[in-house]
Amino acid sequence: MGEQKPKKPGFLENLKSILYGMAGHDMARYALKTRGSMEHLFILITMGDLLGIPILPPYYSLRLLPYVVPQISTWKRRMLREKDLTDALA
Amino acid sequence: MSLQHFLKQYPNRRYLMFGGKGGLGKTTFSAATAYWLAKQGHKVLVFSVDPQASLSDIFQQDIFGKGAVEIMPNLFAQEIDADRRIKEYQQEIRQKILDMYGLEKVPEEIENYIQAAAAEPAMEESAIFDAVVDIVIGGDYDYYIYDLVPLGHALYYLSMASVYDQWIDKITALRAEMAEYAQVASVMQRDKETEEDQILRELQYIKQRINTSSGILTDKERTAFFFVLVPEEMIIVDTQKAAGLFARYNVPLSGYVVNRVIPAELAQQDIPDYLRNRLAMQRGYLERIDQLFGQEVLARVNEFERDITGLPMIEKVAAALFGGEE
Repeated sequence: MGEQKPKKPGFLENLKSILYGMAGHDMARYALKTRGSMEHLFILITMGDLLGIPILPPYYSLRLLPYVVPQISTWKRRMLREKDLTDALA
Repeated sequence: MSLQHFLKQYPNRRYLMFGGKGGLGKTTFSAATAYWLAKQGHKVLVFSVDPQASLSDIFQQDIFGKGAVEIMPNLFAQEIDADRRIKEYQQEIRQKILDMYGLEKVPEEIENYIQAAAAEPAMEESAIFDAVVDIVIGGDYDYYIYDLVPLGHALYYLSMASVYDQWIDKITALRAEMAEYAQVASVMQRDKETEEDQILRELQYIKQRINTSSGILTDKERTAFFFVLVPEEMIIVDTQKAAGLFARYNVPLSGYVVNRVIPAELAQQDIPDYLRNRLAMQRGYLERIDQLFGQEVLARVNEFERDITGLPMIEKVAAALFGGEE
């Protein structure tokens, strides 16, 4: 009757989360960060014209444009900003 | 061997191309070959990949941007309107962006990019390149005759195909690697599945389009590429150079057609020195052409008394190009 109470995580679940926090989280973060950098590299070689660097024949770069619309503003900021020491810590 | 022989001996060569410097008669020979093949009962499409196409002029009928137009039974001609194609394509991209993100209006920065991309010089070539794929994979015709752009452009067109191909390979690989990292992260975080990478799919689509197009240009089984030249010093030298470059891109060179030959019989008649000198000059260069290209010279076509426009003149050229029935 009624809605089921959300199940309290068992001991095993807790242990999994702790282990993930200790070991997995950093690796996952690293993987995502790498992927993020590659995403920007990808946009650079497909949409280079946006920065004035034509790399890809424009006919086909237009085909890819719709998929990268959300990334374009952050990408431009990243590509054009000055680098400083704190970048190494990020 | 004659051109007629060649086509009969290699019935699988379904993509025929005439290349050469501007103004030597590529369009004329494309039209005449299409005419001859159509008369033989084959369904033929002759189409132009030149932004300044002249098929409309030779057939004396406005076919620009009208798709494949039937000129006579079995003979169809088409001129690609690259400008319109680009405009439609831009609109398609805009619509896709609006649909994907539920927007009312394309963001200004993106709109500027769409506009700028269309203004680039490479845009027209790539648009035509892409249109050719549509025409050829349609497979509705027995023969496809490419009325090519002048040599420099044709080389650009070919090199573009191989550059595109390598470029796409590289970014497809990068994209696949990105997918791996995303997957690692999602396994760590025990997410279900990573979403399917639509960009990777688009890239594979683009790659397949480019491969189809450049595959035809370099297909030794189905394609024949003929050079058009005239008996003049510079043209011979340039043709030799171009033939070397084309061979490097693996274009199946199949022979040479010599155009604008002044009929040798004229020498017997009372003709002015001006013409006699030109005859002597051509005789020298014709020998040179025979020495250089020998058996690969498939036809010699005489200079006509007037320019080639309209079907009756095209018929005359076809007769000169292919000879009578065997």
